[in-house]
Amino acid sequence: MRHNGPFAKIFSVVFAAFMLAPLVVVIGVSFTPEGFLEFPPSAISLRWFRAILDNPDFIEAAWISLKLGVASATVSSVLAVPAALAIGRGRFAGRDALQALFLSPLTVPTVVLGIAFLRFLTVFGANGTFAGLMFCHAIIIMPFILRLVLASVTGLDRSTEQAAVSLGASDWTVFRRVTLPAILPGVIGGWVLAFITSFDELTVTVFIVSPTTTTLPVRLFSHITQTTDPLVASISTVAILFTVGLMFLVDRIYGLDRLLIGEGSR
Amino acid sequence: MPFLELSGLTKRFGDVTAVDDFSLAVEKGEFVSLLGPSGCGKTTTLQMIAGFEQPSSGHITLNGRRLDEVPARQRGLGIVFQTYALFPHMTVEENVAFGLEMRGIGRQDRKRKVAAALDLVHLSNLSARYPRAMSGGQRQRVALARALVIEPELLLLDEPLSNLDAKLREEMQLELRRIQQEAGVTTLLVTHDQNEAMALSDRVAVMHHGRLMQEETPFHVYENPKSSFISTFLGKTNSLAATVVKTDEAGSVLACNGMELKGPAAHHLPGPVTLSLRPERIEIVEENEAVLSGTVIERIFLGDQWLFRIETPLGPLLVVRRNRGLREPEHGEAVHLAWTPEHLRVLPAEEGAA
Repeated sequence: MRHNGPFAKIFSVVFAAFMLAPLVVVIGVSFTPEGFLEFPPSAISLRWFRAILDNPDFIEAAWISLKLGVASATVSSVLAVPAALAIGRGRFAGRDALQALFLSPLTVPTVVLGIAFLRFLTVFGANGTFAGLMFCHAIIIMPFILRLVLASVTGLDRSTEQAAVSLGASDWTVFRRVTLPAILPGVIGGWVLAFITSFDELTVTVFIVSPTTTTLPVRLFSHITQTTDPLVASISTVAILFTVGLMFLVDRIYGLDRLLIGEGSR
Repeated sequence: MPFLELSGLTKRFGDVTAVDDFSLAVEKGEFVSLLGPSGCGKTTTLQMIAGFEQPSSGHITLNGRRLDEVPARQRGLGIVFQTYALFPHMTVEENVAFGLEMRGIGRQDRKRKVAAALDLVHLSNLSARYPRAMSGGQRQRVALARALVIEPELLLLDEPLSNLDAKLREEMQLELRRIQQEAGVTTLLVTHDQNEAMALSDRVAVMHHGRLMQEETPFHVYENPKSSFISTFLGKTNSLAATVVKTDEAGSVLACNGMELKGPAAHHLPGPVTLSLRPERIEIVEENEAVLSGTVIERIFLGDQWLFRIETPLGPLLVVRRNRGLREPEHGEAVHLAWTPEHLRVLPAEEGAA
């Protein structure tokens, strides 16, 4: 294996610093005893963590984000698996177009998507409903799941399924007993990435939420447009810890490398 | 009526004809190999028998019923894939039990049959393992057990030994033959490995460009190849371009590279032919017995035998000699070669014969 040159090393350090510095600042600020954003904090205090409990609208928003993330990631996974199987191994006209369509939420500017969803939901009278929000999120996060499931479908040994067929399994049995277990790491990996994407989605969501469906990012955003107290920092710290905990759990269960790179070595 | 019959089997992919009017009959309990280089259509043939490809024309009969009209999952064939295709998330026992489960066989019977199948392949002690924790040879045995446990009428083997290293491959050849005979199952093996085909099968069917070239016992195909392609594909041989000068019952006279050689009676009219002479049929002799003389340009020691390349007036010839523990001619040494005319095979001339 080649060693990295000095330029690559400097780049890696700078890259990591830019990624981590904001998190360090946010976590630092959240421990301040003062009523304004202060870094480094003059003392360590849990004042702003206690303040979260006094703001039930934030807790309510966190619950909505959690439910929204779980529901939309699940709906999106259920749709992504058959799509990936068709795109990954099918030979039909329009296959590339279909793949481009499923991946297009990555390329369309989110503001444009937000306005489009707003119009669309209004036409169907679903504006401000949880279901409407969930379907919009399911579409936005589809590319994340599809990419990972597609990677595991491509790495699938076709003869394993043929073996099951030759032993007398029906199409549905082959899928349930052989195909799905084989691509499950990709599906779970995609689900987790999609959940996290949905959980912190702001740009599109801000167009289509109603007071009863305000998500955590939207709630935080509207909070800092009005005041700048360290409450946002302490809530962010909790969200960071939640995400780190989720990643840790996934790593323990499945291995993060295998999840994010797709087909990994066992 | 043969047990398995392929008749006029043809498969076209667009403009390409992968399998061309292929017919073959296999008797019950027989072990037949489809042998040919990659791209010769042997795998496509197997896929059609298995039901993963639809023939463009022709039909397949197994034990009196039309197989090509039955969906793959109802054909009841045992298949061992090149990659073994074990279910990675199931234990050995679950892998082998899968086919029985699909047939709705009860737990007790299933357990008994799985145990018997694992016993047959000598893996009884590893039934709780996962495939990833096993060696290539062991996975191969699991794949065999899984295919045999459903008591198939026909066992299909797709290059089953190609992923094993040389030593293990030899062991598994003997093993495979034993298992096939114990199970008494009619078997069709697809392979590009001539040694594998010769060692395992009752009969070899050589395929080339989607067509059946020759179909006989391994010994017969090796000794009497019908074409220079088969002679070079099965074993090593010296192929020489020659011309039949004259031929009668007593034998023939062949002109080759300015020399006149005696050969067996040739069925071919006077004209261009290809001669095939196996390296092990050429002997190194004293000068007065020699057909021709030459110089050693290369010699390779293979343990049980020596392989020589000898420059002669006919061109370079390969010669194989058993290692008798004695001194053998060295590089640059002059040697005298002879062979019995009957060992020459006179084959139709083929362009690009090497």
